[in-house]
Amino acid sequence: MTSAMPAPDTVGAGSLRRVELSLAADAQMLFLARMTGAAVAARADFEYEQVEDLRLAIDELCIGLMSARPGAARLTLLFVWDDQGTLDVHGTLTPEEGVSANGRHPAPAVSGSSFELSERILDALVDDHGVETIGEVHRAWLRMRARNTSRDVD
Amino acid sequence: MTSDAQFEMTRTHQPGVSVLQARGEIDVASAPEFHASLAQLIGEGPEILIVDMSEVSFIDSTGLGVLVSAEKESRGAGHELRLVVTQPPITRLLALTGLDEVFTVVSSTQDAVNA
Repeated sequence: MTSAMPAPDTVGAGSLRRVELSLAADAQMLFLARMTGAAVAARADFEYEQVEDLRLAIDELCIGLMSARPGAARLTLLFVWDDQGTLDVHGTLTPEEGVSANGRHPAPAVSGSSFELSERILDALVDDHGVETIGEVHRAWLRMRARNTSRDVD
Repeated sequence: MTSDAQFEMTRTHQPGVSVLQARGEIDVASAPEFHASLAQLIGEGPEILIVDMSEVSFIDSTGLGVLVSAEKESRGAGHELRLVVTQPPITRLLALTGLDEVFTVVSSTQDAVNA
């Protein structure tokens, strides 16, 4: 996917809600990213199936980031959503200088088939997604719009 | 720290058939353990290897990648890998990725034996 990364504050019109999660880039911590994503999706009034979709999409986004750079790093996820049902997730992987990676569980090297599957999953689950690398900082993002049509009826 | 849904596996055997029952979440953290168990079972050479995922609540691309490589290894050894899947999100994920065309997917262990 080659779309340009949207700025965090361009989700849409109306009031924005933001949640930020910062955690060590550790495979055993990824469940926290999934849990947060599910909670945010529920708060954004996503349907059950889309909550599950977002949980998986965030997992894939994080795997892509973590496999981009070995060693100690911090993973930050910024969730921004509006009252029109558009949710953006911005992930950033930043090296942690002077921090040992000992005791952390790196993401295994992503095989060709897993990478292809990950891309296929993201293409199918979210409306848009992309990656960019600036220096040693890796970023990935995704956008998902709620299919819940009740807000359109109001 | 452990995941909110810990990953566990149980192995059972009957003549010509090995069953690996997985429970919990198969993600980037648990995929290596999942891969190791599957590789060991394939090495034991059962005619049919059944992966029972009826109690798996989540699987990502790394877990699916493990299944794909296990399927190739099984096929290369002249054996067959069959999946038991009952959770709708996982059934849907297999369809989204086209893997429902790669694996024999059934809804019970007995069906997997008979497939």
